[in-house]
Amino acid sequence: MPSQVKRLILLFGIAAAALVLVRFLLVPDSFGRYGHYRADAVDEVAGMEIRYAGHLLCQECHDDVDAVKSGSMHEAVSCEACHGPGNEHAEDPFENRLSAPRGRRRCAYCHSYNPSRPTGFPQIEPDEHGGEEPCITCHNPHQPEPLVGIEDCEACHTEIAKTKSKSHHLSLHCTTCHATQERHPGAPREMRPDKPRTRSFCGQCHGEDASSPETIPRVDMATHGEDYLCWQCHYPHFPEGRR
Amino acid sequence: MEELLRHLAEAQQQITGYIYPNEIELHWGLVIVLYPFITGLVAGAFILASLERVFNVKEVQPTYRLSLLTALAFLLVAPLPLLAHLGHPERAFEIFLTPHLQSAMAMFGFVYAWYLTVVLLLEVWFDYRRDIVVWSRTYRGWRRVLYSILSLGVVSTSEESLKFDERAGRFITIVGIPSAFLLHGYVGFIFGSVKANPWWSSVLMPIVFLFSAIVSGIALVLLIYMVSSWLRKHPIDMPCLDKLGQFLFYALILDVSLELLDFVHRLYEAEESIDILAQMVQSRLFTSRVVVQALMGTVVPLVVLAVVRALKPRELVRKVAYFGTGILILVAIFFMRWNVVLGGQLFSKSLRGLTVYKIGLAGAEGAVTAGILTLLPFVILIVLVRLLPPWSGKSGVREVGQQTHSS
Repeated sequence: MPSQVKRLILLFGIAAAALVLVRFLLVPDSFGRYGHYRADAVDEVAGMEIRYAGHLLCQECHDDVDAVKSGSMHEAVSCEACHGPGNEHAEDPFENRLSAPRGRRRCAYCHSYNPSRPTGFPQIEPDEHGGEEPCITCHNPHQPEPLVGIEDCEACHTEIAKTKSKSHHLSLHCTTCHATQERHPGAPREMRPDKPRTRSFCGQCHGEDASSPETIPRVDMATHGEDYLCWQCHYPHFPEGRR
Repeated sequence: MEELLRHLAEAQQQITGYIYPNEIELHWGLVIVLYPFITGLVAGAFILASLERVFNVKEVQPTYRLSLLTALAFLLVAPLPLLAHLGHPERAFEIFLTPHLQSAMAMFGFVYAWYLTVVLLLEVWFDYRRDIVVWSRTYRGWRRVLYSILSLGVVSTSEESLKFDERAGRFITIVGIPSAFLLHGYVGFIFGSVKANPWWSSVLMPIVFLFSAIVSGIALVLLIYMVSSWLRKHPIDMPCLDKLGQFLFYALILDVSLELLDFVHRLYEAEESIDILAQMVQSRLFTSRVVVQALMGTVVPLVVLAVVRALKPRELVRKVAYFGTGILILVAIFFMRWNVVLGGQLFSKSLRGLTVYKIGLAGAEGAVTAGILTLLPFVILIVLVRLLPPWSGKSGVREVGQQTHSS
């Protein structure tokens, strides 16, 4: 074997031995016991101070509030999401009292308008909604009333309302196209509104023989995009902008 | 905190459309742009070196050792942008101590270690070993000690051992070519495999990165060769320069073809993201993508190199043309990395808005750090060139020997 190879094998051997030694000295014993992390970290995390009590503990004393909150739209919101960490309060309720948010900021964390929130989630513009009154003036946080009446579509569907407000379809009420059951605001996902399904629906206003005002654009429904549904090319909430 | 808020407030004024709150600030900035740029230069310079060694392109022989040293100098700096970005350099070694085989980013540590130790250092060692032995005998003082250490105690310069050096160097270069592809293909893979990001997610990304790396590596070595020849007042070997220009031209054609393929593919697919991406290219990235990368850095060099090849003008014109295109190409490839890294973060995941990137001056990821990291490989290269003169191969040894004897 050439002397170069012998020397390189020696060099790489020393490097490999150094790596093994460093690994032996520095890698914690518990590393890799459960996965690619230090298993002792689990015990360390478990040993950290407990700050949250959990809503089951809250229910033991505040069963009256729990009864109100159960079944409401805030049923899934944990008590401590608004009232803060409650473990110390649970241990000594009179010495460690919890606060309740009275201003407008806390509610806005979840309910201010944000396009990333799911459609149907109640959203408002905090600067424009309800003057400067605290939210709890009108809304009971333990049982926020579902929005009543289809006049208030905008409260949940703000994004669509904003888009529609710029289009010629502004004057159309949502229910012109979407048949909506009264229970939809309270159970938006269970009671979904209907949508137009045929080309003839749009033709009621835009067909050549429609009885709508003459200023509305007309097309020959028999020849105009006959192989497509209208909303494949025209966005109904903003028909001026093509898809 | 106040400074951060002011920074966010400034950025917020330049946001257009809808973006999510965590998209205002870009997480990967200028130093992460440098990282693929530098690794690309390494891979490109090495592949250029392999032309002489494996493919017997004799014309580029004057740049062989220079390419190797350039690759080594830039490779030593390659992980520094990542360390500056992560902020805890001491933790970097944990990827070797507790290797995570399913993490592509962790695997970079192994690709890097393999490329540095097994490919580059070994190839440089085998190529220089005879010279190192000679230098360890002819020099005095600290240089003698240094060369003795570098020789690893193997002092034989017999014909048999030199033949083995040659064979070993050739074998390592053959292993090195796929390694260089792996090194830079990996960088493209990191971006191309982010399937949630339509600007990055493309199976062509690794191959586009690879060919742009080859282009940038050739351009860099060409420039360093020209500048070093001027500094040394040595005539430039024109057949070598012409060959470099020829390979630069061919590599650029391949690179442009791949980028065009990617571009056309995106346009034809016209996925839902196409509108925001088009908007981004026409606004935020217009200067860097269209003007610098496409026009100045691609069309102009292609035209110039094609004209040089077709008309074969006199020597001075060719030199100016190669030098100019080299600089343009390097700038363009830097901005190609810029457009990929930053472009992927400038548009919102809602596909309805664009944010803005503002370069900080100071700090671990600021412009000053990036400037230092860009200059550092050249400083290292100067040191390497002083220690391991690459200019005339074995004649370099004779020169040193003659100098030593005459003094």
